[in-house]
Amino acid sequence: MSFLLTISTRIARTMLLVLFAAAGTILLVRFAPGFFSDAREMDARYAEAARVEIQVTQQQTLLKIAVEEAREWLNGGFGESRQYSVPVSGLIAARAPVSASLLARGIVLGWLLAAFAALPISGLRKGGLFWGAPFTILLAIPAAAMATACILANVGGAVLVLSLLIAARDFKFLRSLLEEAWRSPHLLQARARGLSAPALVRTHILPNVVPQLFALATLSIVTALGALVPVEVIFTVPGVGQLAWSAVMNRDLPVLVAITFLMACVVGFAGMLSTRDFTQEAA
Amino acid sequence: MTKRIALLLLALLIFAAALTVRLSRYDYAMQDRDAIMAPSSAQHSTGTDELGRDRTVRVAAALLIGLAGATVAAAITTIIAASFGLLAAFSPPWLASILLFISDVFLSLPWLFLLMMVRSLLPLTASPPVTAVATFLVLAVLGWPACARAIYRGAMALRASEWMIHGRACGLRPLQLMRLHLAPHLRTLMLPQFLICVPAFIAAEANLGSLGLGVGEPLPSWGSMLLELDNSALLAQSHWVYLPIALLVVVLLILESFSSEVQAGA
Repeated sequence: MSFLLTISTRIARTMLLVLFAAAGTILLVRFAPGFFSDAREMDARYAEAARVEIQVTQQQTLLKIAVEEAREWLNGGFGESRQYSVPVSGLIAARAPVSASLLARGIVLGWLLAAFAALPISGLRKGGLFWGAPFTILLAIPAAAMATACILANVGGAVLVLSLLIAARDFKFLRSLLEEAWRSPHLLQARARGLSAPALVRTHILPNVVPQLFALATLSIVTALGALVPVEVIFTVPGVGQLAWSAVMNRDLPVLVAITFLMACVVGFAGMLSTRDFTQEAA
Repeated sequence: MTKRIALLLLALLIFAAALTVRLSRYDYAMQDRDAIMAPSSAQHSTGTDELGRDRTVRVAAALLIGLAGATVAAAITTIIAASFGLLAAFSPPWLASILLFISDVFLSLPWLFLLMMVRSLLPLTASPPVTAVATFLVLAVLGWPACARAIYRGAMALRASEWMIHGRACGLRPLQLMRLHLAPHLRTLMLPQFLICVPAFIAAEANLGSLGLGVGEPLPSWGSMLLELDNSALLAQSHWVYLPIALLVVVLLILESFSSEVQAGA
């Protein structure tokens, strides 16, 4: 019972956080300069209709805007995009698979890179600093700088940049996790008894670090989502990140609120996953 | 040892950048129309950009602006985070829950996405100094939640420490406790957060600038220099176009190694 209660409380808290994030976005966009401008005003054919719409929007209170957004959501959509005049759900549905695929490939490749580097380096007695240096350097490179450098050098693409960013952060985490595991007393005893390195990893190291990998998964997802916008914009990938950038530049409130909602949902539920033991917490 | 080397390298870089900006005959905004996209020469040691502006001076100025802006923003963030974290740690549980929930709302979105959203909703067509202030102010105002969480955890540990309990048992009032016992320990709580924020803010400015949301032209910044690299015609001219990226990485490496050393020593 307490297990269910803990999970319900966590879900409720996450949903509340998501709602607050969406409400904050509405507040921000409503008071942003340019919110009451409409590109259609430039075209004589649509100028009158655009002016009427602007007047209607200007008379709306914040609460009314929020209620209308909520009503759109309850009707199963996210409203209509201001810049493209098409349903937001359609826009996101077309771009979400592109971003999801990019994220999935980036995260998997990043994890593999980090794991294959951290496992041997964490076991080294000397030279760990030297072999870990590439990841330290990668950690210091901003996403946009890495993407720009890749384009300039004509090497790799969006997946490589995302995976390198994730690998750099995960490597640091994994390495300290594994170093701690290597130093544990039961492992020293197992080594003294002559267990081979692969057997040590399989029977002692991995079972000990697996629960903490959930926290690493959250870290990877948040890192990848954060880097999604600059990476998609610089590599012109038609994904959700690029749509978000276009929405903020054009004050497209329905699209922005929908993307904020999605991002907050993903981060919130990924954060829930990182709590490894609900039963322990409930107790 | 690493801390001293990092500090020395940083001081050397700042000194060299200041000297370059001060002594060069070119201003960071001055356009040499006879040397547009020029390669390295006697007049322009690292060449010029697409408007004929001297790259060395612009990179040096970007380094100084980035460091100064990030340092001030990190100081503001640390003060906000410390106020928030300490208030949450030393307030009744219901108030602490509300304060922590507020920080969680900010943390519910990826930081870069949040930065991009908030910065883009501020005026973009203002004067360059205003855009610079707006960019670093956004970083300062949005950077505190993670730091506040860390300071909150540290303050909770301080609150539960034996000497604090002893102080309370001796009848010290909350203000006396804060002045005598808490204040001396604040430095160890706040300094690591401040040092983490400086490189994080420089990197964030570079990311924002590359999306056209950073410091406005002609003021040089890491972000605007990355944005310039979009011009493929520049790339054919010389390898010096990579200078801003290389120097940005060096500065971030120095700052991060310094910050790691201080954290390890704290």
